[in-house]
Amino acid sequence: MKERFIEIFIKSFAWLSGLLLLSAAFVIIGFLMIKGIPTLSLSLIFGDTSPADAFLLRRQVLTGLFPAMAGTCLLVLLAVGMATPVGLAAGIYLAEYGRGTLKSFFSLFCDILAGVPSIVIGLFGFSLAISLHHYIREIYPCLLISALALAFLVLPYLIRTTQFAMESIPAEVRLTAPALGATKLQNIAYVLFPRSLPGIASGVILAIGRCAEDTSVIMLTGVVAAAGIPGSLLSAYEALPFYIYYISSQYRDAYELQTGYGAAVILLIICACLFLAAFYLKNQLMNRMLYRQ
Amino acid sequence: MTENKSNEMKIKTVNLSFYYNHLRVLKDISVEFPERSISAIVGPSGQGKSTFLMIFNRLWETIPDARMEGEAFIRLNNKWVNIYDRSISLPELRRSAGMVFQTPNPLPMSIFKNISFPLKLSGVTEMQSVDEKVESALKQAFLWDEVKDRLTDDARSLSGGQQQRLCIARALTLDPEILLLDEPTSFLDARSGQIIEDLLLSLKESCTILLISHYMDQIRRIADQVMELSGDTSNNS
Repeated sequence: MKERFIEIFIKSFAWLSGLLLLSAAFVIIGFLMIKGIPTLSLSLIFGDTSPADAFLLRRQVLTGLFPAMAGTCLLVLLAVGMATPVGLAAGIYLAEYGRGTLKSFFSLFCDILAGVPSIVIGLFGFSLAISLHHYIREIYPCLLISALALAFLVLPYLIRTTQFAMESIPAEVRLTAPALGATKLQNIAYVLFPRSLPGIASGVILAIGRCAEDTSVIMLTGVVAAAGIPGSLLSAYEALPFYIYYISSQYRDAYELQTGYGAAVILLIICACLFLAAFYLKNQLMNRMLYRQ
Repeated sequence: MTENKSNEMKIKTVNLSFYYNHLRVLKDISVEFPERSISAIVGPSGQGKSTFLMIFNRLWETIPDARMEGEAFIRLNNKWVNIYDRSISLPELRRSAGMVFQTPNPLPMSIFKNISFPLKLSGVTEMQSVDEKVESALKQAFLWDEVKDRLTDDARSLSGGQQQRLCIARALTLDPEILLLDEPTSFLDARSGQIIEDLLLSLKESCTILLISHYMDQIRRIADQVMELSGDTSNNS
């Protein structure tokens, strides 16, 4: 009787937790949509500049969100672009080559890096920019420094997901290619890596989300409220999460606060687009590596 | 072992012992296998039959804490070669000694990519010769007619018997001199098993086959000689 009661209790608790999670996500997104969607308009994004002029960089967008959107997209692409090759290589090393104490040493440092708060990484990026400035006058906190700092922030996710994806491949699959005369590198390149792509893709998606939403790292390393579209890797830039933070603490009227919600919705949409792009890329890669003749 | 005077020897071991940690699974085995014949390896489970097969393509070397003593030779190009010599290239050895496992293990790729995979590994890229090799390997494995119209399908969509023939075809693409088969029919129904037995009989024209089997009637039907591994001793009959 008692066991039956415990079973019912655990089952309903599990159900309730699931329900709570779903409704929390639903309430947050719903709230954002109700507040944000009415503010969405071309003028929110482009101000009084025409969209065509904005995209071709013929005229600066002064009052819209367009520069912040461009800044966020560039930042995510740069940071994830830099972190992915390093993260995958490190993950492959840990899963396939690392042995003994050296492996546990690297694993420990990966965990430490994962545990560093983002504001500390931001501070490190800031100090890096300052000390580099002594040698190269052109370097201030900028897009490149932010992207570098963010790359370090997401590196542990990429390393760990790659490592776990490769390590969870069953032994039969692992032996198939060597039995056919594959070298270790061929086995990794043709069998183990393609099979790990779904796991690796989820790591990349996590990294994209983390880069897109982070505020504390970029606040210290180069984001500003009004910089326009960055002209080079070494210029300051705008970003959506910083805009949301800034506008919600400094708004002057109800309309400005409303644009914060609009920016949040746009940030979500950009994230969704980047996720879809990563997913599409994964499918294309797998198809190419495994099925096409 | 019933001597088969017409054929020369192809594979031999000298005082071969094998250990996992401190557990000895093979003790002091010295045997020879004649070429172009089917040699069955029998014995109760856990007596090192699969380990014995892996001696000849050195696949056991990926297993941690495994250790071998003694020597193993294969006659390649009419010369006895110690396959544990330092000059031996592991990929080349494994290309000349193909292996088929108990559970069919197609890679998660198309049928065509599975069969052409060993060619890709050995650097054959010319499309026409790849196509020809794939076709001839599939024909050799009695599979061509069943899959020729769906070569781009996922290999895992085939039936169990077809998957096992696919694995045999994959091992055949590099024209191996030796085929190592670890209970290839144990997960198949009688009809699929029958096809594979016929296939092995036709392959023995060109290959030396070592076959682990549990089925005495299968051994009677296709094996030219039988080697028994039991406990610490091996008996040839």
